[in-house]
Amino acid sequence: MFAKRTSFTILMLVLCIALVGMPMVTPAYAQEPKEGGTIIVGLQAEPVTLDAPQVTDYNTIRAAYNLYDGLLRFKDESTEVEPGLAESWEISEDGLEYTLYLRKGVKFHDGTDFNAEAVKFNLERQIDSNHPYHDTGEFAYAEFTWGAVKQVDVVDDYTVKITLKYVLAPFISHLAMHPAFMVSPEAIKKYGRDISIHPVGTGPYRFVSWTPGVEIVLEKNPDYWGKPAYVDRLIFRPIIEDQARLTELLAGGINFMVNIPPDDLGRLRNDPNLKVVEQTGMHTWWVYLNTMKTPFKDVRVRQALNYAVNKQAIVENVLKGTGVLAINPLPPVVWSYTEDVQRYDYNPEKAKQLLAEAGYPDGFSCIFWTPESGSGMQQPVLMSTAIQADLKAVGVDCQIKTFEWGAYLEQIMVPPEANPEWDLMALSWIGDNGDPDNHLYILLSGDQWPLNGFNCGYYKNDQVDELLRQGRATLDRAKRTEIYQQAQKLIVADAPWIVIDHETQIVVMDKRIQNFKLHPTGPFRFADVWIEQ
Amino acid sequence: MTRYVVQRVLSLIPVLIGVTLLVFLIMQLAPGDPAKIMLGTRASEEAVKQLRRDMGLDQPLYVQYLRWLGGVVRGDWGRSIQLKREVLPYMAGRFQNSAYLMVLALSIACLVGVPAGIISAIRQYSLGDRIAMVLVLVGFSTPVFWLGIILQIVFGLMLGILPVSGIQSPGQTGTLDLLLHLILPSLTLATAPTAIIARMTRSSMLEVIRQDYIRTARAKGLRERLVISRHGVRNALIPVVTVIGLQAGYLLGGDILVEVVFSYPGIGLAMVTGILARDFPIVQGGILMVASSYVLVNLITDLAYAYIDPRIHYGT
Repeated sequence: MFAKRTSFTILMLVLCIALVGMPMVTPAYAQEPKEGGTIIVGLQAEPVTLDAPQVTDYNTIRAAYNLYDGLLRFKDESTEVEPGLAESWEISEDGLEYTLYLRKGVKFHDGTDFNAEAVKFNLERQIDSNHPYHDTGEFAYAEFTWGAVKQVDVVDDYTVKITLKYVLAPFISHLAMHPAFMVSPEAIKKYGRDISIHPVGTGPYRFVSWTPGVEIVLEKNPDYWGKPAYVDRLIFRPIIEDQARLTELLAGGINFMVNIPPDDLGRLRNDPNLKVVEQTGMHTWWVYLNTMKTPFKDVRVRQALNYAVNKQAIVENVLKGTGVLAINPLPPVVWSYTEDVQRYDYNPEKAKQLLAEAGYPDGFSCIFWTPESGSGMQQPVLMSTAIQADLKAVGVDCQIKTFEWGAYLEQIMVPPEANPEWDLMALSWIGDNGDPDNHLYILLSGDQWPLNGFNCGYYKNDQVDELLRQGRATLDRAKRTEIYQQAQKLIVADAPWIVIDHETQIVVMDKRIQNFKLHPTGPFRFADVWIEQ
Repeated sequence: MTRYVVQRVLSLIPVLIGVTLLVFLIMQLAPGDPAKIMLGTRASEEAVKQLRRDMGLDQPLYVQYLRWLGGVVRGDWGRSIQLKREVLPYMAGRFQNSAYLMVLALSIACLVGVPAGIISAIRQYSLGDRIAMVLVLVGFSTPVFWLGIILQIVFGLMLGILPVSGIQSPGQTGTLDLLLHLILPSLTLATAPTAIIARMTRSSMLEVIRQDYIRTARAKGLRERLVISRHGVRNALIPVVTVIGLQAGYLLGGDILVEVVFSYPGIGLAMVTGILARDFPIVQGGILMVASSYVLVNLITDLAYAYIDPRIHYGT
């Protein structure tokens, strides 16, 4: 009896488990990747080039990315590196020699072999002005990516050694950036400067056609060395008007869209045929305070301005949730980010008190520069106007001057002796390689005043400078994390900027598109994406 | 006649030199360095200098201009700074796209505007005339960017019968596809010229039908239709042709707003993008094409006068 009951119980249990388990099994089955289909991406502008090492903007890399593989690769949704065209690598004890062991049997889309010579050719094309194919392009990122490289040696067919002039801890990340995407040397020799419109890489997609102003068409590379992509074709259409792009998405002319107008986001989230994918990007938007000038030399004034601005209100009302509140110049997605820094929550009373302590009980007037638009600048005029109103409330009377983006870039990068007119100046930064050095050193080190770098507000703190120098010369990640966290605390306490927000990367797509993940470095990875039929 | 045409074509040369020189100087005056814009914020000062050298931007202005002009004469219009392409084939393609749009928009404007003007004039102060003139006023006053977006929403989204933007459907080619893409932008583009042409035709026609020869034609018993078509319209058309010619020139410049709203890859859109990037070769090339065609359209207009009005002769 007991045995019978036991076996009945077991039977019921098994049935229950099976029944409960079934729905879990079914969707897993439904999630099976499917081959075929086309993804049509609506871009905000015409891409400039498809030659990866020449790319300088997000919009362009989004079209070019899937044609190529880098020597290394950023992991999905992360800026940690993993093997790419180099299967493994070694770094010498002194941090000066990087030996890369390349993947064998990889071919470029034109059928030529990828090997150590190709790596040497690609790097030297960018950095050596005497290289016979150096004039086949303009390599804006070459100095940033390869500036530390002394020489590139072919050890054997599938081994390359890169020797550096000095230790540069972030260099390993540079091997995963777009200047390290490998282009076919034979194609460069064949097309010359037109390699820009005849791209040949090793990536999961290969080039089909580019009709200027109309579309760029890529197709699946069936001979890909890795797992072939699922989607047959990728089409990139430049649709420069936000509203037209949105209408195209709703009408089905595109099934993947970037740069969603903040006002329309809520509606799109509720559309049953669409899905919104978002992730906080490696981006920061801030206002420089000109620390060379009175009264911004005084840390109390800088802190007062930080307390005076209602950043949360800007994020909610101007950006409508397309950004997250920033408390630190470093974006949260970058390793070593810490929240353990001084906070400047909105507090106009405290701002007035600090201004009075600094000798400005009645405030002062100042000049605030801002661009009309620009890469990563979100809604610069609206945001600056909100900041102006908040500052006015504590007695700081700013006069805003707006500039067209091209003219702006020309005028903000000046050395201190040029004595720029502005007191406050808005700018943003999108990280390149996910390394804290790429934000803190370039934007805030005393070594990086223009024209060396982008410390345009001339902030200088010797202790910070020393930490940032140490950070880039130390290879140990744990030590570097400690160094950068210390630097963040010091910088935020000094308040050289009013940091406003970190922009959220947002794309909207047809809900049948599966497994799309945004990457903090900005490009769109379609190799693992499929479309549910 | 031939001599007149040759003279007019030759007079094109100083006009074009003047226009391109002016544009060249204006672009130089505008702040913003193409090398810096092109290389973005990450490039070193040295790289920017190198690029300026490579592009010849470090040369004196007159050298830069003459070098460009010499290239144009030899058929080498230079290379786009931003797009890294040959300017001539690129801009020729863009010009062709704008020309499709212009021809279609102008045809719509003539086919609607001229008859509307004639009917309004011969039925002056009738209900039809008043409705037509209100529509003309509305058409002329409607901002094209607004009209464009409304047409996109109605025909592209709500009715789903016409493409919203661009010049061809993804991965497709063909005349039908092209024509479908042209409908909304050309309707948008045609609105203002239609209104102008209708108004012009109406006022010109009103003047003509009060002339003595019209009364004479009626008095000798000609049918009203013949009076209007043979004696009225033909005489009224001279100022209308002038207006149509001017409108054609204006449309050939590519109505920038329409091209932007519809992301239509025409010459206007290419020039706007070129100006923002300080892409001199693109802007110069575009201006050269637009200015040449403007002058040519004027010439064709002048020749059309002779055809319409036998009293007008050119040369000996």
